[in-house]
Amino acid sequence: MFAYILRRLIATIPVMLVVAAVVFMMVYASGNPAALLAGDQATPEDIARIEHALGYDRPKIQQFVEWLWRVMQGDLGTSVFTNLPVTTMIAQRIEPTVSLMLVTLVLSVGVAVPMGVVAAWKAGTWIDRAIMVIAVLGFSVPVFVVGYILAWVFALQLDWFPVQGYTPLSEGFIPFISNLILPAIALGGVYIALIARITRATMLEVLQQDYVRTARAKGVGQREILFVHALKNAAIPIVTVIGIGIALLIGGAVVTESVFAIPGLGRLTVDAILRRDFPVIQGVVLMFSFVYVIINLLIDLSYSLFDPRIRY
Amino acid sequence: MDRRGFLKATAAAGALGGLGSGRLASPALAQGAAARTLRFVPQANLANFDPVWGTQYVVRNAGALVWDTLYGVDDKLEPQRQMVEGEEVSQDGLTWTFRLRPGLKFHDGEPVLAKDVVASLNRWSARDSMGQMIRAIQNEVAAVDDRTFVWKLKSPYPKMKFALGKTNSPFGIVMPERIAKTDPFSQITEYVGSGPMRFKRDEWVPGAKAVFEKFAGYVPRDEPGNWLAGGKRMLVDRVEWVIMPDTATASAALQNGEVDWWENPISDIIPTLKRNRNIAVDIADPLGNIGVFRMNHLHPPFNDVRARRAILMATSQEDYMAAIVGDDAALWKPLPSFFTPNTPLYTEAGGEIMKGPRRLDEAKRLLQESGYKGEPIVMLVAQDQPITKAQGDVAADMLKKIGVNVDYVATDWGTVGQRRASKALPSQGGWHIFFTWFGGADCINPAPNNGVRAGGDTAWWGWPNSPECEALRNEWFAAPDLAAEKAVMARYNKALMDFAIYNPTGFFLAYQAWRKNVSGVVKGPLPFFWGVSKS
Repeated sequence: MFAYILRRLIATIPVMLVVAAVVFMMVYASGNPAALLAGDQATPEDIARIEHALGYDRPKIQQFVEWLWRVMQGDLGTSVFTNLPVTTMIAQRIEPTVSLMLVTLVLSVGVAVPMGVVAAWKAGTWIDRAIMVIAVLGFSVPVFVVGYILAWVFALQLDWFPVQGYTPLSEGFIPFISNLILPAIALGGVYIALIARITRATMLEVLQQDYVRTARAKGVGQREILFVHALKNAAIPIVTVIGIGIALLIGGAVVTESVFAIPGLGRLTVDAILRRDFPVIQGVVLMFSFVYVIINLLIDLSYSLFDPRIRY
Repeated sequence: MDRRGFLKATAAAGALGGLGSGRLASPALAQGAAARTLRFVPQANLANFDPVWGTQYVVRNAGALVWDTLYGVDDKLEPQRQMVEGEEVSQDGLTWTFRLRPGLKFHDGEPVLAKDVVASLNRWSARDSMGQMIRAIQNEVAAVDDRTFVWKLKSPYPKMKFALGKTNSPFGIVMPERIAKTDPFSQITEYVGSGPMRFKRDEWVPGAKAVFEKFAGYVPRDEPGNWLAGGKRMLVDRVEWVIMPDTATASAALQNGEVDWWENPISDIIPTLKRNRNIAVDIADPLGNIGVFRMNHLHPPFNDVRARRAILMATSQEDYMAAIVGDDAALWKPLPSFFTPNTPLYTEAGGEIMKGPRRLDEAKRLLQESGYKGEPIVMLVAQDQPITKAQGDVAADMLKKIGVNVDYVATDWGTVGQRRASKALPSQGGWHIFFTWFGGADCINPAPNNGVRAGGDTAWWGWPNSPECEALRNEWFAAPDLAAEKAVMARYNKALMDFAIYNPTGFFLAYQAWRKNVSGVVKGPLPFFWGVSKS
């Protein structure tokens, strides 16, 4: 197991290098931010001075190598706009995004898996159809629409939750969760739909298996059959989809954080892209890539928990 | 239903909800502390905090809280003494001697000295267009003693006080010498101010929040506060800027009492906010804004004045303004001028080309006479800025009507900002047309008005070259009094119109909104926080 983890971690290095090179090329192909930084009164000479001050007048390959060298030392550079280290900016923003994603994850898995199991159990009935309609809606309605509706109903009409913002967990669980519950529901819509559908499909297949029929013949209770015998054997595709779905969450967080004014990494990324704040774009994309690679590793490792035949 | 319609509908529903429940703000802090904290939604993210290096309006607005200036303009657009106690000008107008007020302090507790001011002026004058003019004619600027400094010039500069007190970026802020010695093209890294509020760097989350705390050591002037002039008395202890990129969210947060003051609600939201009994709505800036349709003077067809005049002749400002502010006629007015209406130097001389029924056939003929033969016209339209998108959409329609083959490049403002700096051929990464807007405060006279500079390579994007226009601008700078200034302005505006330096698409106003437990909000070119209180 340890050797496998080590091999996988080493394998991330070329992946990250490729990501770094691609991100660098894509970002720098779009020009540089000197003209934006210079403002409306700038002359071409002013822009050239800013380009020089930021080092954008050096050969691209030199810029790439220097940036890569700094990254390898843990230095993601400094934002050209805020003058703050990129690591500081990521650190400022990571808690709200991680909190939002974790709450969404817990909520989505907690809702979607039982939904999928029940839909499979009651396949073909109105319950199954109702659950699948909810799933289709989750896929179809954009996050910002769900977000606005939730804010209108639960914040403006009922005054149960705030409209916007983020409160750190350190200031108490109730304010923390109050700020996150609506964004998590909005963000979780697609995720719930995805997990519920894959759970239903996988469970339908598992429930046809001989050992389920044997369990029924032995008089095992329905709940135990569904959640102990069948679900455990259906878990691998579900866990895989949960992992893949984290990419959806990262994308959806950008919109959700804007709609609910959550100061997270999604908004940081969008702001950086719109401003051409290259060091921030590169830093955030690298970090997301690394996180995604690690999540995939964790998912692979989790397979052995559900299926003892899988060994690393 | 599109996103804009959905946004209006949800905002309206929110207003009804607010009315129905009659709900008051639900403060997150204890009541007393909440009343001493003003939560403000600014027009944009405070992405950097160096008002000399970063020329965005939002940086200027935050800078005005933290740094003081030697002079400040009032609501009559007159520069008044601010950090300066008095000044003397030599008989020949070549030597200005300034004396600072006693008791001025920086936020680190150190006194403000003349050497700090000199260093600050040196940094500012390297970046500001008026500062650069002074720099070009200066012999020296030097400290005489701790409270006195002198600026010696080679030729008179009658607009000195205006230059040091104007509102447009970059403005002449005073910072400690060690910080002011930073290269003007690099950002400062310390934010030690001289104004009424201290910047809380430790609470700054760019893109999300900026916090300012009252500076106890600030000594306001005795006069009442008036824009950048007079006593800047802070009536709240803390100002929190909450960055909200989404207008529906900002609208809901204001209605829900989660924020107190919103700098720039879009016109779609205004009827909703006006219906909420807890919210006050008023014009934000009486100096308004001027829409700009900028043409590239370097490349055909707009290197020919006939093509540029054809555009002015075809422009229906009503169409542009309707696209920007909607059907509220009180929010816009026609602008056959390059200067801000209702200001002392406003003139419409030479603006006949923009008045009366639009002459599309004549414009089409004029365009053909300029040699235009249907080549693609590259038009950069930033889609992420509602004002530029509105102008671009109207312009595309208008241009097609006069036979222009429009290459509509739908992009973001960041790309426009980069590409407009390119002098390359439009087919090779350059451009023919882009859109923006100027704050009216930047167009009250020729000094801060970049759009009318016509010095070729040194001019603003589009690089117009007209020695005649530049001569008239210089004539205005030398004008000794208002009457003389007005006389020059009439000739200057006419010359600019004849040259069709750019196409003004109209004058428009915008709103601000605040909760009614906030008082003291005034109209102005930037949000003035002094004199604002919260109950």
